[in-house]
Amino acid sequence: MSDLLVVEDLTVTFPTARGPVDVVRSVSFTLGRDETLGIVGESGSGKSMTSLAVMGLLPKGARASGSVRLDGVELLGRPDRELRRLRGDRMSMIFQDPLSSLNPYYTVGLQIEEVYRAHRGGSGKDARKVAIAALQQVGLPDPERRVDYYPHQFSGGQRQRVMIAMALVCSPELLIADEPTTALDVTVQAQILGLLAGLRKDSGMGLVFITHDLAVISSIATRVLVMRQGEQVEYATAEQVFAEPRHDYTRMLLDSIPRIDDPLDEGVTA
Amino acid sequence: MARYLAGRAAGVVVILLLVCLFTFVIFFTLSPDPAVMICGKTCTPERIHQIRDALGLNEPFLTQFFSFLIGIFAGRDYGEGANLVHCAAPCLGYSFQTNQSVWDMVVERLPVSATVAIGAAVLWLLVGIAAGLVSAVKEGTWWDRAAMGLALGGSSVPNYVLALALQYVLVVQLQVLPFPQAVAFGDDPVVWFQSYLMPWVVLAAGYACLYARLTRANVIDTLAENFMRTARAKGLSPVLTMRRHALRPALTPIATIFGMDFAALLGGALITETVFGLNGVGKMAADSIAKNDQPVIMAVTLLAAFFVVVGNVVVDLVYTALDPRVRITAR
Repeated sequence: MSDLLVVEDLTVTFPTARGPVDVVRSVSFTLGRDETLGIVGESGSGKSMTSLAVMGLLPKGARASGSVRLDGVELLGRPDRELRRLRGDRMSMIFQDPLSSLNPYYTVGLQIEEVYRAHRGGSGKDARKVAIAALQQVGLPDPERRVDYYPHQFSGGQRQRVMIAMALVCSPELLIADEPTTALDVTVQAQILGLLAGLRKDSGMGLVFITHDLAVISSIATRVLVMRQGEQVEYATAEQVFAEPRHDYTRMLLDSIPRIDDPLDEGVTA
Repeated sequence: MARYLAGRAAGVVVILLLVCLFTFVIFFTLSPDPAVMICGKTCTPERIHQIRDALGLNEPFLTQFFSFLIGIFAGRDYGEGANLVHCAAPCLGYSFQTNQSVWDMVVERLPVSATVAIGAAVLWLLVGIAAGLVSAVKEGTWWDRAAMGLALGGSSVPNYVLALALQYVLVVQLQVLPFPQAVAFGDDPVVWFQSYLMPWVVLAAGYACLYARLTRANVIDTLAENFMRTARAKGLSPVLTMRRHALRPALTPIATIFGMDFAALLGGALITETVFGLNGVGKMAADSIAKNDQPVIMAVTLLAAFFVVVGNVVVDLVYTALDPRVRITAR
């Protein structure tokens, strides 16, 4: 069986007043079914652009070259009309800030239903049942009632659960999560991570998890891609990266994770 | 909800009373004696006193003010004995100039102003929003630049200039339109339409330019929202993405502004009505100010204030229907 997602030599170029700038340079990775890839890097390292290029959602003017294959099918250079059929259906994405990523003018039910209806058709009644089931699946209490709530009526963690329900309503093979826990507080972060890991395991989909925080993916990633300034500096299994990082930058990222047994720096008080 | 509405209604009444009071104070203290004006050139002090009596101007300020207020709700009497005239509620008094009932004048002229306002509003909403939408979607193209350049230029042209230019070209030179006439729709729909066409265009032009720029800015802001990226990530069609996810957030603020603009226009389009000789509330206002016809000035001021204040309440209610994040809470 072929790998689910193969990215080869992916380069993303932005036109600027001073000529084209590569924000992602020659990035390559593969993601198997049933696998979780963690993409780690600081802001501006190109990790979000990499994922947007996979989804075909790059901002206007940006150009992607190289190869992105989903289940053996090349995605780069395909017209948007065809990519649209894949997005939300076979590959989905969730984002950092669930409040601004949901449309404040519509109920979460409608926003989940419209994905289902865009790809599967069917009546509004069916779609509503699917939406309720999707909310149930992500552990939102009282989904029959909450399906008619607006995004502002949920807490941050609940909103991210709604986003996940929306992304998974068509049972995609690939889910890209772009910093899904960054805007949440720590206990909620852990719940969302646990939820994503559980859902991934149950469905057998591939998960790309983007974060700037190595600690976050240590628990769920099978492989890790470390990016810096648009380039990949390390790509290995999670055990390797955490046990014996080969690159200084990875080591630096690892050292930046605060540990309970770290000696306190002089002069630093809580 | 009922409590909220009652509170807002009370607010409306208080504001209208204050507007009444201020307008009354201004004319009581600042304007020349209307009795002198009515009396004309050959006038005796006795005659002036008689007129002042008939108009109730010899009463103290507060008595006059309350008589005016009571007149609106219960009607009032002017003069005494054989000269007694009863003015039924809602009584806004009689024009110093024509002796016509001011309420009757308002009732007669309001439909004209409403016709001007509604026609212009339809025109400027269609043209302004459409132009703004296309500009936003085609941001940075020649169309966008041309449309926005025109909108900027257009909103800088005073509407009396546009009115006179249109009239000169279309009526005098090309003779494609008749000079606007006071024709009811039922009598001759074609002449009615031809008569109102220029006022509509003139009044709508400035608003259309403004609304095009507003729409463009709002749509561009909305297109940059994260939820638009989500909509694309969901694989929705561009049409659905635009229609459902972009338009409602982008146009909701415009609905608010429109409510205010339209309400203000119901109080009369002073310049447009005057230039085209339309007998609306706006022209009535202009005429009454020119002739210091106090009862009429009071009436048009109150009417304009009424529409603006009520329009405000309506806009707030509509906003709660359009934006689910806004909810009514009684204070």
